[in-house]
Amino acid sequence: MTREAEHVIEVENLTKRYGELLAVNDISFTVRKGEVFAFLGANGAGKTTTVEIIETIRTPTSGKVRLLGMDVTKKKRDLVHRIGVLPQGFSSFDRITVRETLQYYSRLFGCRHTDVAGLIALVDLKDKTQEQFKNLSGGLKQRLGIAVALVNDPEVVFLDEPTTGLDPRARREVWKVLLDLKNKGKTIFLTTHYMEEAEFLADRVAIISKGKIIAMDSPGKLIESNANYMVLTLQSVEKKASEIIRKIGFEPVHDNHWNLKVRLERADDVQKILSAIQAGGATFIGLDVRKPNLEEVFLRLTGEALHEDPAGERGAE
Amino acid sequence: MNLRVVGANLVVSLKSFYREKTAVFFRIAFPVLLILVFGTIFMDQDDRSFDLYVQDLDQTKSSAQLVETIELSDRFKITTIAPATSATQYAKDHKLNLVLSIPEGFEKSLMQRMALGDPDASVTFTVVYDPSSSAASTKMQALDSLLAGINQEMSGKPPFIRSDKTSILAKKYRFIEFFVPGIIAMTVMTSSLFGAVNVNAELRQKGVIRKLSTTPITRTDWILSNILYQFILAVLATMVILLVSYAAFHVSLQINAWLPVFVVLDVFAFVGLGMILTRVAKEAESAAAAANAFMFPMMFLSGTFFPVEMMPGFLQKFARILPLYYVNEGLRASMVSVDHVAALEYAAVIGVFAAVVFVLGLMTTTLSEEAT
Repeated sequence: MTREAEHVIEVENLTKRYGELLAVNDISFTVRKGEVFAFLGANGAGKTTTVEIIETIRTPTSGKVRLLGMDVTKKKRDLVHRIGVLPQGFSSFDRITVRETLQYYSRLFGCRHTDVAGLIALVDLKDKTQEQFKNLSGGLKQRLGIAVALVNDPEVVFLDEPTTGLDPRARREVWKVLLDLKNKGKTIFLTTHYMEEAEFLADRVAIISKGKIIAMDSPGKLIESNANYMVLTLQSVEKKASEIIRKIGFEPVHDNHWNLKVRLERADDVQKILSAIQAGGATFIGLDVRKPNLEEVFLRLTGEALHEDPAGERGAE
Repeated sequence: MNLRVVGANLVVSLKSFYREKTAVFFRIAFPVLLILVFGTIFMDQDDRSFDLYVQDLDQTKSSAQLVETIELSDRFKITTIAPATSATQYAKDHKLNLVLSIPEGFEKSLMQRMALGDPDASVTFTVVYDPSSSAASTKMQALDSLLAGINQEMSGKPPFIRSDKTSILAKKYRFIEFFVPGIIAMTVMTSSLFGAVNVNAELRQKGVIRKLSTTPITRTDWILSNILYQFILAVLATMVILLVSYAAFHVSLQINAWLPVFVVLDVFAFVGLGMILTRVAKEAESAAAAANAFMFPMMFLSGTFFPVEMMPGFLQKFARILPLYYVNEGLRASMVSVDHVAALEYAAVIGVFAAVVFVLGLMTTTLSEEAT
């Protein structure tokens, strides 16, 4: 097996600066052929900058990036034919229909035999073929973006925040499309800040924080190796509970649903915390105690909460 | 360069244009409306007649004959006012800009001069006018000219000095024939400038350029397809303007090889300027505002709507540094006066400007995200 067959993406000591801002700080990783690799990080962590360097959109400040065995800074013209890209917040020509958009991109790639109907069926847009882009909902636009990323039958597909800004139903529709791609054996490089997305789709996950990769493994192994403890979740808890819990020696973390999560090391920790909250007069609606998921691992490793950016991340993060 | 890619881009641009009704209106229908409105306003301006309100205080056969003479001149359509009314009050009440009052004793003075040969016999007409009306002075000039002619006739002597008007042009042209080349130049300018700004700034802001930068399309393919698109729109707009002008006003314009030359130079000059503005002002809104800042002075100061010679001296000098002035004058030289030497001179100036601006535009335009 050749090196290219093993690793379709090789990133070595990659650094990217925007003036004084260090967006990506000396990161290295590889992506194997046929795997779904998720780049997980909060907004501004450096995900999009990294993926745009690999996609040949941006140039690195230093370090080496090889894609399909080629240097991305030297072989852009060859590489663009072999990759498919769904950029963050995909957009297209407003008054061009779904079918025409796919035909347009197919012509750009010089593909004479693109199965436009097949792509439309893959992303479940058969009812929308004559609809202009401006009339599509956010979820439908993203699905069209995925189809556009596949018009040249790419070997590697880059999907940058494919479900950001979508409602839960639309998000799951996109996941279904991505699962189909995964089952077809495509190599997929996915950037996301949705933990459940990475956990559901990815074979391996790299967690990036402040431009640095701080953990990389399969979701299961990441949880296993970073979670020899339990998590108490207090739902819709009052603000003062956080201070009460901190006073008795625990480090509570708010997640993005107004819940409070507390790491439990010992069997009697739950009793201690609940007694302190009751004594302090704080209230909450419900609680559960369970093994941590990828989100808790992320919070523990980065100390960062994940927030949805309604406008989507743009440009350098 | 890949012709298939250029063609695909061109088709998408044309479909987008066709489906954007507002764009069709502003690029094609709006200049046609301008032609129709201004053409109608200034149509047969030389033979234009004015409304004239006349108050005959003399109420004699001679004063009635004078009113009839004024009307027969074809310069005025007469409406009479009752003698008992105050001419000034009537003008105020009815918002009239000019009322001519023939005084009592007109016939008596006329008889003294004509029958009795009294050289001191004369009569003074009162002209009540609204100084805030720009039309009043034009009307007064026409009236003075007419009355001077009547005085000359009454003297019984042929005029000593006569004038013989000779146009520098081979035939007599109307305002509309000077106006149409200006509208063509202005339409191509606005279409090219805003086309380049919209394509480059709006698509970049929306992220379409980012997506395109991950496809095989090159900067050359992108710019060439945009230039071709703007050129097709410019040709379409020019043809429609000319067709409407011929159909509605029967214009007499010379269509020769200079027309496509100036249209091409107009497209290159203002697409180039649009590409530069897009680079300087990165947001679509600020790029459009910058385009407006360039466009409006050119529209109004480069001789599109009225001759540059009507402007104060310093504005005339300013007009001569505006690129649209050379397109306007070049098109007029080729289509109206058929002066090929002048057309060549104007083409040379706008050609140099177009080359410099377009090369700068090429240098600043990129599909890369790195420069954003």
